[in-house]
Amino acid sequence: MVQGIQGVQENQGIQGKQGRQENHQVRDSREIQLSVQQLSKRYRTGEGVTSISLDVHKGELVTLLGPSGCGKTTVLRSIGGFLEPDSGDILIEGESVLKSPPEKRPTSMVFQGYNLWPHMTVFDNLAFGLKIRKVKKADIRKQVTEVLKLVRLPDAENKFPGQLSGGQQQRIALARSLLLKPAVLLLDEPFSALDAKLRHEMREELREIQAETGLTMVFVTHDQEEALSISDRIVVMNHGNIEQIASPQEIYDHPNTLYVAQFIGKMNFLKGVVSEGQVMVGKLRFPNSKSLSGAVWLAIRPEDVMLSSHGQDGLPGIVKQIMVLGHYAEVSIQLPEYGVIRAFQPRDAVKELNSGDQVYISFKKVITYPEV
Amino acid sequence: MMNKQVKMGILGLLLVIPSFLLLFLTVVIPIAVSFKESLTNKEGGMDLSNYKFLFTDKLMRSNIVFSLEVTVISVVIVLIVSYALAAYMRFNKGKLVKWIRNMYMIPMFIPSVIATYGLIQLLGNHGWVARWVLLFGGSGIPLLIFDMKGIIIANLWFNIPFTTMLLGSALAGIPDSVMESAKDVGAGKLRIFIRFIVPLTYKTLLVAVTFVFMGVIGSFTAPFLLGPNAPQMLGVSMEQIFGVFQEKEQASALAFFTFLLCSFMGYFYIRSMIKEEGARS
Repeated sequence: MVQGIQGVQENQGIQGKQGRQENHQVRDSREIQLSVQQLSKRYRTGEGVTSISLDVHKGELVTLLGPSGCGKTTVLRSIGGFLEPDSGDILIEGESVLKSPPEKRPTSMVFQGYNLWPHMTVFDNLAFGLKIRKVKKADIRKQVTEVLKLVRLPDAENKFPGQLSGGQQQRIALARSLLLKPAVLLLDEPFSALDAKLRHEMREELREIQAETGLTMVFVTHDQEEALSISDRIVVMNHGNIEQIASPQEIYDHPNTLYVAQFIGKMNFLKGVVSEGQVMVGKLRFPNSKSLSGAVWLAIRPEDVMLSSHGQDGLPGIVKQIMVLGHYAEVSIQLPEYGVIRAFQPRDAVKELNSGDQVYISFKKVITYPEV
Repeated sequence: MMNKQVKMGILGLLLVIPSFLLLFLTVVIPIAVSFKESLTNKEGGMDLSNYKFLFTDKLMRSNIVFSLEVTVISVVIVLIVSYALAAYMRFNKGKLVKWIRNMYMIPMFIPSVIATYGLIQLLGNHGWVARWVLLFGGSGIPLLIFDMKGIIIANLWFNIPFTTMLLGSALAGIPDSVMESAKDVGAGKLRIFIRFIVPLTYKTLLVAVTFVFMGVIGSFTAPFLLGPNAPQMLGVSMEQIFGVFQEKEQASALAFFTFLLCSFMGYFYIRSMIKEEGARS
């Protein structure tokens, strides 16, 4: 039958915090390349960002993640000099760049819409920035040839942007920025216009290029999968504020707030209550490690849900649906008092399970949040 | 049984035929007739005497030179003013921009005869400007109309709105992102203008040059009402040769010569388009 109930698991918040502290100690020893300090920008519509502070270390790839309108692009464009913040400061390699226009900043941006110049060949697109920097002709040719190899388009130099596919154009846009060897490379949803397969390939390529060049990168996306797959650290933003800054693993395992828990990955939410120093949901009890009181939310990842046909200590439920998704299955279970909960199970483990079966569920790990 | 490709080909031909016929009847045939007439001499034979007259007669030569001078000066000023207006509206915001945007097209809706009469009323020796200058103690204004200046001023009035509209739409078609990415790699304002804005509006600029050139060189109303008696613009001269001197063949030669001048401009436009398309395909 399905996995057996292993009893109530402890809340792993403390363990996660220790992990984060260790991680931060490692990072803190590295040089800070970009420092955003108390950055605020408010638009007439009321949207914007409020007092954003963020340090990015040399060679790090930090992703600003959040839904549309959360302020991630505002932060990125402020760093690039395309927006003037209302207050705060931006330091690159220890020096404030706030008063410098975009063309004077040691940054380069890869834009969402590629922004290649349609009237110039690929070579001219790439060479333009170098010509401004008065690089010798022979060196320009050498560098352009090298960067085209790096982005795997060695034969594209005489083509016009209109003759390239979306993925190729984005590679050229990336190459154009890489050539300038910026102190910080800014990427504004660079893969959002590409199809899923190409997006996946481009992510891998970006990671390889980053490893090869050691560039410091700030990446903006609303795609959590993209953020989780390429980032050293993720900054989750909501309504112009930072909800959490942490590594992808930490964000996934220990979302700081209910918003992050809802936003990152799939999550089940159950309403519980604190009683006698413990968080209770049905018969299940969990340690109240956050010293909450009253009504609370319990967040459980689908992979942390365990199913059993005979464990009376679990929460009883009825299997509603089983969807086999490749190597695993998503099982939807109707809990009488808590609604539907989803569990990821190995495909073999659900072979004997059918819709309408009675099961008992328990959790490997839960995260608790105060009810807002 | 006809396949789909043949059917579509026939449909395409049927759609093209009406416009082609119209073009043939209103443009190609008159040009051919004019050309034939322009080669007819006074004795009814065929030679180049009418063209010889165009380039040997002193007055006709000065008319041609005068027309080209007026046209080139008008084209240059129209382009500079229109580009400046269009660029100002594209890259700036505020009340002045709104005001210009609302006002600049007004001249397009005023018939040319009325506008020309208005210019005479405004800029003539006893016009409004002269009266205001006298009122404020001045001694009158220099001659502004009834010479080359008058025709150029009228040409500016007639051509700036449409050219501004053309260039404005071309500039609006350049996304901010193109300029942002140029700034991002280190380009300053002047470099962005020279390397990005001008090349990306170059096609429209050529269209504007062609339109203004053709419009000015073939213009009649303003040169007739505001121009000098001699030299004359080609349109006025043509009317005189045809209507007053009754020299139909000479008028045809002048008309065909004017057509060649316009074709010359058209040729450059078409050549640059073909070249650009060829480079990108």
